[in-house]
Amino acid sequence: MKVDVALFAYLSDHQPDGLGGRHARAFDLADGTRVADVIADLALPDQPRIVFVNNRHAAEDSALHDGDRLAIFPPIAGG
Amino acid sequence: MRDILYVDMATLSTERKPLPEKWSRYAGRALTDAIVYDMVPPTCDPLGRGAVLVFAPGLFGGTSAPNGGRLSVGAKSPLTGGIKESNSGGQAAHALAKIGLSAVVVTGKPADPLARFMLSIEADGSVKIERVDGWAGLGNYAVADAIKALRPADDHYATITNGPAGEAGLKAAGIAISDMKGYPNRFAGRGGLGAVMGSKGLKAIVVSDKGLKGVEHADKEAFNAAMKRFAKALTDHPVSGVGLPTYGTNVLMNILNEAGGLPTKNFSSGHFDDVEGVSGEKQREVTLERGGNVKHGCHTGCVIQCSRYWVDKEGAYVTKGPEYESAWSLGTDCCISDMDTVAALDRLCGDYGLDTIEMGATLAVYMDSGKIAFGDGPAAIKALKSIFEGGEPGMVLGHGAEATGLAFGVDHIPVVKHQAMPAYEPRAVQGIGVTYATTPMGADHTAGYTITANILGVGGTVDPLKTAGQAELSKNLQIATAMLDAFGLCIFVAFPVLDIPDAFVAIYDMAAAHTGQAWDTDELMKLGREVLTFERLFNTAAGFTAADDRLPAWMKTVPLPPHNTVFEVTDAELDSVFDFVPETAKEMGLL
Repeated sequence: MKVDVALFAYLSDHQPDGLGGRHARAFDLADGTRVADVIADLALPDQPRIVFVNNRHAAEDSALHDGDRLAIFPPIAGG
Repeated sequence: MRDILYVDMATLSTERKPLPEKWSRYAGRALTDAIVYDMVPPTCDPLGRGAVLVFAPGLFGGTSAPNGGRLSVGAKSPLTGGIKESNSGGQAAHALAKIGLSAVVVTGKPADPLARFMLSIEADGSVKIERVDGWAGLGNYAVADAIKALRPADDHYATITNGPAGEAGLKAAGIAISDMKGYPNRFAGRGGLGAVMGSKGLKAIVVSDKGLKGVEHADKEAFNAAMKRFAKALTDHPVSGVGLPTYGTNVLMNILNEAGGLPTKNFSSGHFDDVEGVSGEKQREVTLERGGNVKHGCHTGCVIQCSRYWVDKEGAYVTKGPEYESAWSLGTDCCISDMDTVAALDRLCGDYGLDTIEMGATLAVYMDSGKIAFGDGPAAIKALKSIFEGGEPGMVLGHGAEATGLAFGVDHIPVVKHQAMPAYEPRAVQGIGVTYATTPMGADHTAGYTITANILGVGGTVDPLKTAGQAELSKNLQIATAMLDAFGLCIFVAFPVLDIPDAFVAIYDMAAAHTGQAWDTDELMKLGREVLTFERLFNTAAGFTAADDRLPAWMKTVPLPPHNTVFEVTDAELDSVFDFVPETAKEMGLL
């Protein structure tokens, strides 16, 4: 299945193409892949994260589906 | 020593008196509220003779408490018609506190409306009021330069200045506070307080703390121990220790966009397709490429360091930040995705002395009228300049989003209590809608920042699209924020405080060690409730009712893409937020 993956702030350095940036990349993933599997494959730092699937907050054990957009942020805030 | 300096602009006289015992636990927002509640008739004309303008450092002003140098400015707001406390970073709070002043209270107004004055408060406590009529109409940056030319080269001082917007009585006028480099770029921006300062003929306040030491503590050793624990929490927490210092406040742009809660095109969508150009990550990259500064504090003692300077292509300073709220209002809400344009608008607002949140929302409302197109940066700059340079749309813009919407026939005006909403969409972030609706300040995100639990996963999680728990979340954050504002603490300490229990304990340990008074959890929360009680009672006496604690009706009927949701928190839930006020008022002896 195809899932668009966007990484933000300093996590964007972990995009496999090494190009950084916030734009989403299309990932080819096996059916049943969970958010946590993507996080592990990307070797994201071991810290709290804010995860969205299709613009909704999502748990890291949630399964991804074909056509999903996955966005991951490190712990951030502002205002 | 904590004194109040009274400044009467009718007689041009000043008097320094000890802080009354009844206010000995009050500072910052608590003290500006108490003084406004005490001295200002709630139904008075906010720009009239009975109006009072109060400047008060927080309880930690003049100390080394991390991030404890905020300045509260209070008055009756010409924009909302209710009580207003707008607080700012910058250097003035520490300077006032070191001189021993817990507040400067400006009353009366001069007989000559063309007269301009500068109030100088020197390190030895002497005070002077001088005519500066030649400064009439000067922007904040020119006033800062004019002050610099008058001061000794080895002086150490802070400025509080008023731009032409305040002089003209515009309801979106804010008051500028100088930062560590002397730029007048920190703002008590909201609610038209610059117009109150302007009505008093006060163009500038200079506060010199040259050679002064920090304010003494009742127990220095205990204060230092608690202060170190507090600083450690701030630097340990990933948000205040890494995220904010690296990207600044504008790191929020992408996450609100992802959540579908980023108000776009005058609050008609929660998603901005061209967000990249005004995102915090892009801002950092461009600033670094141009040799700008991407990490400093807005005041001495800040350990978070989220401030930055935007520089032009030649590397010359343009303006601060821009902060998230400004990049959103002047950028996203107007569909402008070019940060140089946003910075040009931000600089103009800073120099004129206009609130960037109000002005971005105002430009978006103006664009919605069809007079200029969404996304047209040059037209936005021209429109903003027309306030002072003439032409269309002219001065009405400076009175804010509601005045502009009414003038140009726009029926989609995002305000509460006449004040423009900031950078979070209530239809996609229901909790912030509760805060916008109910805070005595008019639509204000800082009053109860539910984005923490609604979006950022700080201090728990509350689903932003559901109504459950939002009223309680907003209420608790409004109480806690009122307390932080009384201490002069930057609101960003809330992120570690919500997650690290000892950070909260360290606040009252610092307070107890500093004052010699007893402080604990209950006392902190009581202080927060008292602050809000002053504000609610003032507004009620000024004529506010439950009908004023509501979002615009269209937010309950017009769905917002991409989630296609409306604001659904019930009126009864909104009315429950301040259920503690009658009892607190009784305890305070106010009812």
